[in-house]
Amino acid sequence: MSKWDAIVVGAGNGGLLAAVTLAKAGKKTLLLERHNLPGGFATSFKRGRFEFEASLHELCGFGKSDGMGSIRKMFDELDLTDKIEWVDIPAAYRLITLNDEKNIDATMPFGRDAYIDAMEKYVPGSRKSVTAFFDLADDINATTAFFADIETLKPSVISIIKEAKKEHMNFLRTAGYPFDTVMAKLHVPQSARNIINAYWDYLGIPCDEIGFIHYSSMVRDYITTGAVAPKSRSHEISTAVVDEFEKAGGVVWFNSPVEQILMENGRVKGVKIAGGKVEQADHIICNTSPHNVFGKLMDPKDVPEYEIKKANSREFAARGFTMFLGLNKSPEELGITDHCYLIYDTMDTRKQYELMKNIETNNVQASVCLNLADKDASPEGTSILYITTLFTADAWKDVTPENYVKTKQYMANKMIDNFEKAAGVKIRDAIEEIEIATPMTYARYTDAPQGVIYGYDAGRYDGVVARTVMLNADEKIPGLRFAGGYGTQHDGYSSAYTSGHNAALETLKDMKKEVEAK
Amino acid sequence: MNKKVVIKSNAADIKKFLETITGRRAKFKNGASTPLPKTYAVNETANKLHPNKQRLVIKDIIVHSDDVKSFILAPAGDAPLAYFRAGQYLSLSLKIGGALLTRPYSIASSPAEALAGIYNITVKRVPDGFVSGYILDNWIVGQEVTAYAPEGNFYYEPIRDAHTVVGIAGGSGITPFLSLAKSIADGTEDAELILLYGSRTEDDILFKPEFDALMEQCDKIKVVYVLSDSKTKGYEHGFIDKKLILKYAPEKFSVFVCGPGAMYNFVAKELETMDIPKKFIRFELFGETKNPAAIQGFPPEAVGKTFNCTVKCLDEEKVIPCSSEESVLVALERAGIAVPSRCRSGECGFCRSKLVSGEVFIPASTDGRRIADVKFGYIHPCCSYPTSDISIKIF
Repeated sequence: MSKWDAIVVGAGNGGLLAAVTLAKAGKKTLLLERHNLPGGFATSFKRGRFEFEASLHELCGFGKSDGMGSIRKMFDELDLTDKIEWVDIPAAYRLITLNDEKNIDATMPFGRDAYIDAMEKYVPGSRKSVTAFFDLADDINATTAFFADIETLKPSVISIIKEAKKEHMNFLRTAGYPFDTVMAKLHVPQSARNIINAYWDYLGIPCDEIGFIHYSSMVRDYITTGAVAPKSRSHEISTAVVDEFEKAGGVVWFNSPVEQILMENGRVKGVKIAGGKVEQADHIICNTSPHNVFGKLMDPKDVPEYEIKKANSREFAARGFTMFLGLNKSPEELGITDHCYLIYDTMDTRKQYELMKNIETNNVQASVCLNLADKDASPEGTSILYITTLFTADAWKDVTPENYVKTKQYMANKMIDNFEKAAGVKIRDAIEEIEIATPMTYARYTDAPQGVIYGYDAGRYDGVVARTVMLNADEKIPGLRFAGGYGTQHDGYSSAYTSGHNAALETLKDMKKEVEAK
Repeated sequence: MNKKVVIKSNAADIKKFLETITGRRAKFKNGASTPLPKTYAVNETANKLHPNKQRLVIKDIIVHSDDVKSFILAPAGDAPLAYFRAGQYLSLSLKIGGALLTRPYSIASSPAEALAGIYNITVKRVPDGFVSGYILDNWIVGQEVTAYAPEGNFYYEPIRDAHTVVGIAGGSGITPFLSLAKSIADGTEDAELILLYGSRTEDDILFKPEFDALMEQCDKIKVVYVLSDSKTKGYEHGFIDKKLILKYAPEKFSVFVCGPGAMYNFVAKELETMDIPKKFIRFELFGETKNPAAIQGFPPEAVGKTFNCTVKCLDEEKVIPCSSEESVLVALERAGIAVPSRCRSGECGFCRSKLVSGEVFIPASTDGRRIADVKFGYIHPCCSYPTSDISIKIF
């Protein structure tokens, strides 16, 4: 008899939700984390009189604090919602391009109708097609249940066609296409598409490649249900989940990196923690990359060849870079008017994607001023601004310890200049605290390969639809499941939470099946 | 519902969808069977910058006086020394008797010297100090010591700071400034340094030959020696006050302060009268608070008492004594319990632990906890003093 019913490796967002779901289902669960904090990227840190949010821009799929998004529902079920104080995000985003033929500066609100109205103002004549886009996204959203169960149909043309009711047809119509293709079919004017495409760097895949269902469901979730943030940074969510997990009988060990995943007769058996301690369980959920699991954590003789081939065939998604600024003036004094600025060279997303491969050519930023959502986010008369970008290739691989600081500063200076130019404000002289997180930082704290923060690239064959539909075909090692950015839902907070929750539900199903089989 | 019609009209779309699946199968099947990488360049660099532990060997000892020595440390194995930023500290991991503990020491050598395989830490005997005395009396050349990666935020940051740094140093608080001065001289940092360096007497000045040589070599560095206990020709006399700062500082400057507690209090008051924006003032961390009972808010009934502290670490549990006069971290270390720590000043959060039950006193000035940690009952043992029996979970 194993001491634990399940072990969760990694307390990132996926691991946390997997762990709390298992514990609440009455399973004896051990959660292991290499760092001394929960959350992975979902954490916070202090510098001087500021506490910085490490990564969350806004939580999608929750709805406003009184709403009912799918994440909210999941948090409710796990008794998490009221353990966290939520603040509403005031508006969707302000999109600015700096080097396009015709530069954009569009401020977009939350709320489907308000968004469509604003779009009509920027792009007269867009109302009909943008409305059709949201109708289609709503329609597909209503098919979620079908979508989630589709794998049980053992996908084949016949079985899907047999099972698909008429109302699911829009899912099937769009699931095989990139976002751009479907938007063209809907006759959404290019200038409106440019504005809708603003969120693309939240997924890091250009709109001519990202699956329509993947991207449209994110836009729909943000725009129609709005977004929230935890008042005390994402560390509040991470800590609250640990708290609920412990209350449900779960055990968490920090500073406990897993060094080996133990296998026996082709199934997982337990883990070896740094220092040699062995803990046994028949079920393991990994909130770390398959690259690490099959490349480092398993004895090579235990790794099936198909897992090696599979991992080798997959591309890493974006690597992170964030500059955190504590400013000694309020947003009003500085002239910062928006919570979220999405700033690009161009809305040609493919062209932009290519420019994001290099340190020199990457000028993209998603910038958040926390005080616009919560004026008390920092002491009176100050503000917190954090600016994130992505690298779409391993751009930091040649940066050495010796030129590391200078490279960070080069990138940070560019970000400051671009923000000042785009937002038309001056922030440089107000910088009281600055911290910079690079791909090395993300690698250091989470062991993410190359400092990747988005898991595997959700390209054509590895998008959310493909991952979800193929889940049980992909995850074949008995007892082993994955959560987080490398799981079914790709990157993002709500995606990672969902993937962790789902990985736990799958594990519970696996456990049940195994009991029944005995 | 006429399924046939629907299907027929969407056959191409469905085919496209199914291609996603067949394409995925083919993609995975055709992946290379070459072994997956064990590591990646970025992760390697991260590890070089922030190794978990560094094995070092004492290469040389420079005796400044009976009570002050510099230890020249070199790598004990193949791993190169972690690079750092001038002003950062090295946290040593020590085993003294049955106690397992850490101590942070500012690195006096430059980042360039680290690339050449050298760290210098300078240790001054602290009256009644447990660790400084041990190091001064026991460390010998050839001995191996263990340190963590360099840490800390007391460094010059050109994006934030003024181009001129006015350094205010007292006693052995000079060490991070020697590192900064060397970094300016060798071009690693592009800044000007005006260093106001307070000592009791001429004999107490550390690294005077080094600083004099750096001044000679680089016109971006100016060191003003300030003697509190003697009037000597060629030296400033008295405390480092507003008047002295204004005498040497340009119009715009950042102030960096490192030294003993009494100096901090004095300098902080002087700076308050000078209308300097907060962003231009940096104090190095001070280490543990001594005599917490003297701080306002300390419950009088707990003064001088020793409590039981139940410590849970992974699946082991232990009860240890814990005096209200000492931090919980010190009690843990004394009991030989390995607990992570670095700054010992409440800031870095390495020692973050859960207070399961009981009460602790946390001085407001060193309470560096995250907001949510306060909400969910976590403490930093390095700046928490028990005022009742407590139960904690360490990690």
